[in-house]
Amino acid sequence: MKWMPTCRDTTELVSRAMDERLAFGERLAMRMHLAICRNCSRFAEQVQEMRRLFRIETGDETGAGLSDEARHRIETELQKKLES
Amino acid sequence: MDSLDASRWLDDHGDYLFRVARRQLHSDELAEDAVQETLLAALTARARYAGDASTRTWLTAILKHKIVDCIRRQVREVELPHDADGEEDVDALFRQDGHWAEPIRPWGNPQAEAELGQLRRALDDCADRLKPLMAQVFSLREAAGMETEEICKELGITPTNCWVLLHRARLFMRQCLELSGFSGAGA
Repeated sequence: MKWMPTCRDTTELVSRAMDERLAFGERLAMRMHLAICRNCSRFAEQVQEMRRLFRIETGDETGAGLSDEARHRIETELQKKLES
Repeated sequence: MDSLDASRWLDDHGDYLFRVARRQLHSDELAEDAVQETLLAALTARARYAGDASTRTWLTAILKHKIVDCIRRQVREVELPHDADGEEDVDALFRQDGHWAEPIRPWGNPQAEAELGQLRRALDDCADRLKPLMAQVFSLREAAGMETEEICKELGITPTNCWVLLHRARLFMRQCLELSGFSGAGA
């Protein structure tokens, strides 16, 4: 990693930091860039916000359920299995 | 009794299982297959099911394995996006010198339940538009909360591959949300 990462490099570091612990040098480089770059700090906030939103429990009661065809097909398969 | 149990599973939990699977697999067809496999496996395992968890919890636990199995099959069948897949799209987001091509605008701070629901739908729609494998890995990480190490182990992909997929998915998801009008929402 270069001394001062570009925005593109920084998005990669920000993304990886959400999944594992960065090496010391990487973390430092990322923080330095974030400190001076408004675009990248917004990117960092927004990807964190996306994670938060994804993990809100929706109860999974919204949205379409199984189609009639699928339901029928699965019922047939279950019946076959029961009879075998 | 047995046959009654099995058809009740489908009636009582079929739609729920389908929605859970649909959100992870981003495909109606794959989600239907996962539900079918889950119920067939449950039928085989029902003698061992001690009944200490609710039926739905038990079925959902089986479903989660079936979802990972399904994604693992996808990984084997689909060429892994090493560098080629999506690279051009990433290029378009940045200038030659590595700066953002377009400024990143701030997001609003949606608090209302209705706004959150809308956002959640926008997120799901955007995730559906990612390349299938990218969407699946992204959902395992962000929605299911699996650790990358676990994802790599389960799917047999390298950590580097995983990070490349997640980095691209996050770039595209952020942009998709902005394009779908989220930018400035609730501000």
